[in-house]
Amino acid sequence: MADWERLAQRSTLGRRLRLGALSVFLVAISIPIAVPYIWMVMIAFTSRRGMAETGTLWPALVVILAGLGSYGATYLWLRRERPAIAVGVIVALLLGLILLGQDLHLQNFRFMVNANIIEELDGQGTAGGQFPWVWEAFANSLILAGTQTVIVVTVSTLAAYYLSRFSFRGRNTFLQSLLVLQAFPAITLVIPIFLIVFWVGLLNTLYAPILVLTALELPFFIFIMKGFFDAVPWDIEMSAMTDGASRRQAFWMVVLPQVRVGMIAIGVFAFIKGWEEYVFVNGLRTGDSYWVMSTYLYYVQEDVMGVDYGMVAAVAVLYVLPALILYVFCQKYLTQMTLGGVKG
Amino acid sequence: MWSRVKPGARVPRDLRLVKPTRQRLDALLFLGPAVALMLAFFVSPIVVNILVAFSDMNQTVRFGEFPTTEQFNKLGKVDPEALLGIELRGSFYRALALTATFVVLTLFIFNVTFALILALTTTAVPERMGAVFRAIWLLPRMSPSVVYALLWLWVVDSTERGLLNQVWLLFSAEPLNLRLDHPMAVIVVANGLIGASLGMIIFTSAIRSIPDHLFHAARVDGAGPLSIVRHVVLPALRWPISYITIYQALALLVSFEYIFLIMGPSRSTMTMAMLSYTKTLAPGIGGGQYAYGAAIALILIVVGIVVALLMWRLTNMKSLLQRPRIEVN
Amino acid sequence: MTIKSLSAAALLTVSSVVSAPSFAEEITIDLWSRADRSGPLRAGNIVSAADQLNRMFEAAGSETRVTINLIETNHQGFDADALALLKAHSVGETPDIAVAAHEWIGSFVEAGLAANLEEHIADSPWFYADMIPELWTSVMYKGERYGIPQDSEIRMFFVNNDILRAAGYDEEFIDELPGRVDRGEFTMFDWCDLAADTVEKGAAKIGWVHRPNVGPDFQMAMASFGIDIYNDDEAKLQITKSGLTEYYSWLKYCVDNGSLPADMTTFSWDSTHAAFRGGDALGKFHGIWNVGAQMEAFGLSNADEYFDKITWIHAPAAEEGGDPKNLSHPIVYIVGETENKDLAALLVAMASLPVPNTEHAVTTNHTPITYGQVAMPEFQENGWALVAGTPLLARAEFMPNHAKIGQYNAITYTGVQAVETGEMSPEDAAEMVIEELEIELGDDVIILD
Repeated sequence: MADWERLAQRSTLGRRLRLGALSVFLVAISIPIAVPYIWMVMIAFTSRRGMAETGTLWPALVVILAGLGSYGATYLWLRRERPAIAVGVIVALLLGLILLGQDLHLQNFRFMVNANIIEELDGQGTAGGQFPWVWEAFANSLILAGTQTVIVVTVSTLAAYYLSRFSFRGRNTFLQSLLVLQAFPAITLVIPIFLIVFWVGLLNTLYAPILVLTALELPFFIFIMKGFFDAVPWDIEMSAMTDGASRRQAFWMVVLPQVRVGMIAIGVFAFIKGWEEYVFVNGLRTGDSYWVMSTYLYYVQEDVMGVDYGMVAAVAVLYVLPALILYVFCQKYLTQMTLGGVKG
Repeated sequence: MWSRVKPGARVPRDLRLVKPTRQRLDALLFLGPAVALMLAFFVSPIVVNILVAFSDMNQTVRFGEFPTTEQFNKLGKVDPEALLGIELRGSFYRALALTATFVVLTLFIFNVTFALILALTTTAVPERMGAVFRAIWLLPRMSPSVVYALLWLWVVDSTERGLLNQVWLLFSAEPLNLRLDHPMAVIVVANGLIGASLGMIIFTSAIRSIPDHLFHAARVDGAGPLSIVRHVVLPALRWPISYITIYQALALLVSFEYIFLIMGPSRSTMTMAMLSYTKTLAPGIGGGQYAYGAAIALILIVVGIVVALLMWRLTNMKSLLQRPRIEVN
Repeated sequence: MTIKSLSAAALLTVSSVVSAPSFAEEITIDLWSRADRSGPLRAGNIVSAADQLNRMFEAAGSETRVTINLIETNHQGFDADALALLKAHSVGETPDIAVAAHEWIGSFVEAGLAANLEEHIADSPWFYADMIPELWTSVMYKGERYGIPQDSEIRMFFVNNDILRAAGYDEEFIDELPGRVDRGEFTMFDWCDLAADTVEKGAAKIGWVHRPNVGPDFQMAMASFGIDIYNDDEAKLQITKSGLTEYYSWLKYCVDNGSLPADMTTFSWDSTHAAFRGGDALGKFHGIWNVGAQMEAFGLSNADEYFDKITWIHAPAAEEGGDPKNLSHPIVYIVGETENKDLAALLVAMASLPVPNTEHAVTTNHTPITYGQVAMPEFQENGWALVAGTPLLARAEFMPNHAKIGQYNAITYTGVQAVETGEMSPEDAAEMVIEELEIELGDDVIILD
């Protein structure tokens, strides 16, 4: 009996030690990634002279550490999540107010209400004042990323289902060429794509980047979706069909709900791609026919005549935000992406 | 060709009545949109690229002389004395070497090894905690490239204003100038931090889908954590690791966006993809030579296919590729 | 000449140009211009010209109206913009008027984008007779004119006098400097020694800075080393290996003696500007349009204060007794080869009149295009920097209007990068650059010695 207890004790101790070591390791490698982003946020909310300064970063890190520390301590003490979070947030807020209270301001976000911020910042650069309000670019980016996401998810789901379930001559060749398609330097194909887009008359429209980005991403997403379909047992579909459902009905009503996670996961990645795209957006227009967030940020950070980094950081914060929100809500789906074969 | 169903296939009883037209319609409905999109905006640009590579298309985006090998002469010249009969031009040879260094270092240090470490460690800690760390590592991938590059520029700034130097100067008197002194390290790490997250996601998913009873069985057999990793986890990761290795190798081969945004058209990081971009579309540094860029792109395509086939062989991917069960034959 | 008679003349020309006005009531002129805070009126003056024209139409009872469709791009620099313009042209979206850097005219003509303006200029002496004759060179291609100069400028090394003073140089030295440069007594190497000296004495953190990317300044420095970029007779670009090696050796000398940052070519524009405007660098190699920002950064309010703080010098001669060099890089109006080209040319002519052009020149610190402008009260009052700069124009040369000049500049710049970062010796860099020039430009470049 005593032996068993000792053994159990030793294994809990070992587990704790291992957990501690892993945590230290993970924290150590995550700091270099997290700190620059915290810095960006601090520049956006505190920079007054348009410089990228670290003055407020260090207090901000102290605040965050204190918040995390008090959360951890409370959690270890009470073993309950909610009060621990509350304590952490309160400590961080209080300390933040004391250390950073007078540094915080929203001046760098004035581009959100001022439709012609570029001229206010640096003087007139155009005759027509054609630089759009940030919301115009924001809306275009939403349309671009949103439409593209819908098309990518629909098209790759359909194709992946077919590839997963049907046999046809050339299926292997098709799958292999899909994999090889990813070998193509899509981005160096801008000029041929430009020519084709011109030939089909889509130049200077948002349709062009939407369709092009979709096509370039399809091979990867079809593979991911195929993995999800492969993991859905045939029996489910089979029993639906023996109950009288047609193949398409079975797909729609029985199989599709099973791969919802996959559709969300590729949707998130497709959205991010459309949201951040610069090369194709810029390459498939002549002149200034449409603006999106990436071209907007490019212009704000164009530094030939000097630049206001406070505002650049603020624009960057606004630009990152939708992607982050999307991520927070969907992150649990992202780590369920499998690549076929594994679950078999 | 893809739409035909194999004659005499094993079809469940109830489906025997399905007519060939119906199947063709299915193919059209399910596979049609994907095929059409990829043909229009992926396959045909490749064909056009080949044509452009053998032309002298420049600033005016018109086909002039065709066909001509003028562009390839800029990359190397025929020399019977040289290895393989072709003597590479200095700038092209350099680009090849830089590309190889960049791809190999980034791929093996970050996109595979580090991704695996991240997946293993974040799944070994409590779920909520692991998710937080994965979220942090996904930040670079989630943030727009322009923003990510801007942060890099601020962090590695060579003056004492740079974040890295603020820390570095606590230990040393001389500020670091990474972009000048260690340009390859900068682009490897910058790309690697992003690259690691894709592998991390895929590997995490794969680890999660390992049935619990395998872990239990291993533990009952007295296996320690390391031997569980070795005997249970890694075998299950064989296919995802092969896939990530190939996919990321090809992606890195052609990747230039972050290199360009962080390093500019610097000679020290002029990889093949960068060379192709600077000769065509990069602002202000000798752009507009579209045929020249297309020729470099064509070489990248060929190298890409060779690498893909080689790795395919090495990792025995082909058999894995065919493994997914096809229920309807 | 009164405005009235001018308007009448313009109207006459217009009505002959727009010969089928009965149905063409609205004519849209596409105007391509790069958004540039150093010249919003380049496009703005065309818009005003169209307004004037419409008032003339209205006064004459005509139904015709001209609308300007502004295409204002956000490309980073004139080279990128010119490439985009060529791309737009190749898909049939040729603008009627474009604002561009003059050295692209060769490409524009070869692409069939730019209209030949010889006839228009010959027919419109009222508009153009007072043009500074040298400026016409900047729009010539194969002996004919394909553009109208919009402004001009001069380039120089800006010298921060306070840093010299802090390093122990007296007023006499500072006052004498431009003269010594002009006489060829103060060379490029002396410049770097001077800059290095101020760094050693702790008066400056950085010796001097040049632009961090490809651009016209480097041609100015190359000219000092005796490189004559263009062969007029054969209409080809050219280079000398010895000149190039010397030029690169000079850059290496500057990096080695600590006066030029080794990573100059990886600077951002922002840190380049900040280095000089923040008082860290003794010198900056750039152009006259910087004056406004410098006044602001150093808190100066008039000419006397400015020249007390800053000295201008040419790119000095490479060796004692040689000639210093300057380079002017005019921005020009191009008229597209479109059906509206005559009307477009007229709008360009109107926008180039002294009043609108002076408004551009004075507000953005660019030197004028006509002699008459210098006498205008506005110029006398606000254009002091430009008046002061005009003598430097005596040494000015232009970049050649050759279709491959963009590539030529880019390749010679890679040599600058290679030498400054210490990757290559000047000899190797010159060798590499000449090989690249031969490969990429082929017959378009002549390699001397």
